[in-house]
Amino acid sequence: MFDALDMGASGLLAQRTRLDTIAANIANANTTHDASGRVNPYRRRFVVFAPGHPNKPGSPGVRVADVRTDASPLPKRFEPGHPDADAQGYVSYPNVDLSIEYVNALEASRAYEANVSMMEVSKAMINASLRLIA
Amino acid sequence: MFVDRLLNQGNAPLLEQMLRFTAARHRLIAENVVNVDTPEYRQKDLSVEKFQAMLRSRVERRRDAGDGADVRPFDGLEAEIETPKSGLLFHDGNNRSMEQLMADQAKNAMMHNLAVELLRKQFQAMELALKERVS
Amino acid sequence: MINGVNNNLGIGIGGVGGGKTSGPTSGASFADTLKNSIQEVSRLQQDASKAVEDLATGKTEDVTGVMTAMEKSDLAFKTLLAIRAKLMDAYEEIKNISV
Repeated sequence: MFDALDMGASGLLAQRTRLDTIAANIANANTTHDASGRVNPYRRRFVVFAPGHPNKPGSPGVRVADVRTDASPLPKRFEPGHPDADAQGYVSYPNVDLSIEYVNALEASRAYEANVSMMEVSKAMINASLRLIA
Repeated sequence: MFVDRLLNQGNAPLLEQMLRFTAARHRLIAENVVNVDTPEYRQKDLSVEKFQAMLRSRVERRRDAGDGADVRPFDGLEAEIETPKSGLLFHDGNNRSMEQLMADQAKNAMMHNLAVELLRKQFQAMELALKERVS
Repeated sequence: MINGVNNNLGIGIGGVGGGKTSGPTSGASFADTLKNSIQEVSRLQQDASKAVEDLATGKTEDVTGVMTAMEKSDLAFKTLLAIRAKLMDAYEEIKNISV
């Protein structure tokens, strides 16, 4: 029954990675330049989960299989005076919708809590079994 | 031979099988909880009703055999993992139900603790009989 | 478990019962009372065992009933054990009376 704790740990890690990605999305919700200074709006990122423990292949658990970039179209706003405006006067902004990110963050934290409670129950069951000898 | 019989009398083997079952089921429920957001993952479960039906048939077999019963009537119980078709199928191919998982987990943990307590009581009574003194 | 106790108490009953048959008997003899008590304890233990079986196989969901039955059988067993201990001590004392 000890691998229930390993599984819980992998779940916690996966959900935290997801929350980190969401935090990066929210932080960069209005970033129109990339790291080298060119006009390259930030694109939303999301994680893809897959079954299987990250450190022990073949053991049950969950792992982050991929961190993909969202390829949906970037919203454009008409701001002719903006330094980043293109030829028609539109500025491309990141495709990050804050309400979607907030809801995803809520779901990730709920899954995190579920994992924590599951690990608590595992510990309680193992302790109860130990009391057979005591 | 008779020590084996002594240690396996009463409900000890029944409760041991119950503990094996609750531990295995807990592993499955843990895997389900951890994979609650994994796309294309189908929830796995061990059927409680089937396990109890298997136990019931072994109990009746033991009772009918009387004193000539084999010493370990509950060995060889196997349960298979099933993928229940219940629950909504979400867009990512996962048929999760967090509420059902939490309820199942709590009930399973309580069954486990109950079996542990009953087994402990049985062993304690045997130890008491061996000691021949009440305290 | 109950057979082990029965065997031990059998010595006690035999010893006490043997002494009693020579004296005046009033109603049920002590040996009979003791035998009935052992049967009652055995019955309580079988009830508890059956209750646990029912709970494990899913025939009942009455956890409190099972726990009460277990506790009753446990206390009955401990009572019987205490009585046996007292009987054995009394027997030892009688045995050590120097004539």
